[in-house]
Amino acid sequence: MSKNKIAIFGYGNHGKFIAQGLMTDGFDITIIESDKNFYKDAKADDFENVFLIDVTKDSELKNVVLPSFEQLVCVMDDEHLNVFLTLSLRSLFKDSYILSISDSLNVTKKLKMAGADKVIDMYEVSANKIYNILDRPVATRLLEGFVSNRDGITFKEMLIPEGSFLDGKMADDVNFSNYGVLLVGMIDEEMGHTFVFVTAGIEHKLDSGDTIVCIGSKEKLDMFYEEIKKRKSSL
Amino acid sequence: MKDKLLSLALFLHHSKKYKTYKQFARDLLFDANNIYKRYFDLTIIFLVISSVLILIYEVKNPVPIWLDNYDIYFVSIIFAIEYILRLWVHNDLSEMIIKEYNDSKFLLKDFNLWRVIKTGLYAKMKYMLTPSAIVDLLAILPAYRPLRVLRVFILFRVFKLLRYTKSINQFVDVLVNKKFELLTLLFLLLFIVFTSGIAIYILEADKNPKIHTLFDGIYWAIVTISTVGYGDISPVTDVGRGISILIIVSGIAMISFVTSVIVSAFSERLNELKEYRIIEQINKNRSFLIICGYGQLSKMFFRQNRKHIEHYVIMDNDKERVEKAKKDGYVAIHENASSFETLSKFDSQYADITILCLTSSDVENIYITLNAKSISRKIKVIARVNDPETIDKFKHAGADEILMPNIVANTMIYTAITQPTMYKAIHAILTGKSIANIDEIHVHHSHGMVEKQIKELDFKSSKLLFIGIQREGEFIFNPPSDEQIQPYDILLVMGRKISLEYFKSMHEGDISVKK
Repeated sequence: MSKNKIAIFGYGNHGKFIAQGLMTDGFDITIIESDKNFYKDAKADDFENVFLIDVTKDSELKNVVLPSFEQLVCVMDDEHLNVFLTLSLRSLFKDSYILSISDSLNVTKKLKMAGADKVIDMYEVSANKIYNILDRPVATRLLEGFVSNRDGITFKEMLIPEGSFLDGKMADDVNFSNYGVLLVGMIDEEMGHTFVFVTAGIEHKLDSGDTIVCIGSKEKLDMFYEEIKKRKSSL
Repeated sequence: MKDKLLSLALFLHHSKKYKTYKQFARDLLFDANNIYKRYFDLTIIFLVISSVLILIYEVKNPVPIWLDNYDIYFVSIIFAIEYILRLWVHNDLSEMIIKEYNDSKFLLKDFNLWRVIKTGLYAKMKYMLTPSAIVDLLAILPAYRPLRVLRVFILFRVFKLLRYTKSINQFVDVLVNKKFELLTLLFLLLFIVFTSGIAIYILEADKNPKIHTLFDGIYWAIVTISTVGYGDISPVTDVGRGISILIIVSGIAMISFVTSVIVSAFSERLNELKEYRIIEQINKNRSFLIICGYGQLSKMFFRQNRKHIEHYVIMDNDKERVEKAKKDGYVAIHENASSFETLSKFDSQYADITILCLTSSDVENIYITLNAKSISRKIKVIARVNDPETIDKFKHAGADEILMPNIVANTMIYTAITQPTMYKAIHAILTGKSIANIDEIHVHHSHGMVEKQIKELDFKSSKLLFIGIQREGEFIFNPPSDEQIQPYDILLVMGRKISLEYFKSMHEGDISVKK
């Protein structure tokens, strides 16, 4: 995974959780706040790059946010500010990936209009979760584990290196179970970096340069990743 | 005689058969959940309607003898049996005798059989005098052929329908609530009718050729006060006309008064009646959802274009929000979910209830959770939690699932940043897009898959990805291929919806083969 530069706007309810998670995973993050108290919180939590600016002023934004930032995450507690910020960021940085949080349908619409690439609606995801709890409780718990639990069953994206023993094999011919992992799907670069599930019923030929996605326990996944790096000849 | 009755009572007391029969009769007549009651009710309703139709037809046309026999004997006998059954199950005479016998033995006093029988029969007598029992009895009477007048009593059979139609009972209920007002008006009405009836009789009996008796006077008074005014009897003297004017004016006032009392009684209770209907409707389902609070989250919940939720009711104690929900086209009632009475109206014994506490207040949600769990542990509660610090309290209160919109959203954002490609995949799985459905196969004890090995099931050729088994609360990821499926396992499988459904139907079909 590339350790790209990420700017997080807001260190309130959401920002705090996200920033801390990202820091643990070793991402290079910058926190930008307009509220003094939140700014102090962030400082106290040992973040290095923390700025206190007036996010409504483009000049100040330009000073701290550089075009090199790949992802801009707008999670200010004040939704009005969040929409305004998304709008300013979009006009300033055409190519950055902007992600915003919303807490109602109307705000989601506004954020999309303002130019956010992805809007996560707090209530929408929660509502979906209720459905899932009602429909398939076991599956939901497992999926929850994928994203929140670092020790249990999780998934990993793996790039097949040149000369790997997987190179040139059909996905069906490889017994992934032997390695304690399951192949869920792969990322198809030809189809514009989209994820294709194995169950889609298409015959997959694995090539070097493909990214496969497997699930399993973390250690088994890591072991498997080491395995596929081995060259055909060494097997 | 005394000993014989006592031994009979003892025999009945110990007879299991007798008790089951009696219980069956009781369930058939009163228990709304009894499967046969529906058919029984429908039969009675059919008998009533057919018998009334025959009565009407008979007026101008000759009736074939079999139809007459059907009407007179068959229907009446069924009604007589029903009447006797109702009388029989009303109380337990034999039990009363046994109890009295044991009590007197214990107290070393004389056993007085006749007194018990008297109280028992008295209770039955009292039942016989209730309006519904009288109607039942009158409905049997037309069977007595020598008295053709009794044929009119067939109309009483219509009254039997009252027992089977709830809306009329509710109508009566509403009227009973306004008993005081209605009775006052009735007395006033009677007073006016009688005084003016008597007055017209005294004043005009010898001058008016149409008025002969006091009954004529009272009949005239009622026809006039009700503003019907047939005109067959009309006053001829000035004083008589004066009385008419008074009586007409007071009649109009009275009618509008009665109408307004009844209308206001209904509008007061209308909401309640509607909500009662809603609760009754939903109680008929084997499983349903109760959604507490109609806020952002509930709205979102309904707006997801997912599988249609069939059986649910929204509950909110804010009138405006209830109105909003109704306007949006959802079933909603204005009730306080934290009150014991409200939640106990739902049939938690019969149905699987899931309560979603989605109000924005943690205090309210905890209270509803506790309330639900105090009614029945069986009720499943999914609670929304806003403040992470209250999670422990919710767990303590017994919430089955806890949902924190903040955390869910945060996790999603976090995933979106760290694994953007997988975010799409997970989102696809979570929202149940057709290509990648994760589904659970619940294995019941007679399922075709039981005792099969995983490799026998051949998930691969069904284009499914087998992920693991949930067994006794533990999740086994990717178990070895010779693992056997056990009853009550939950298999977690991923694949397209059609593959999943095909796979499920294929293996469920095995049951019949096995048998």
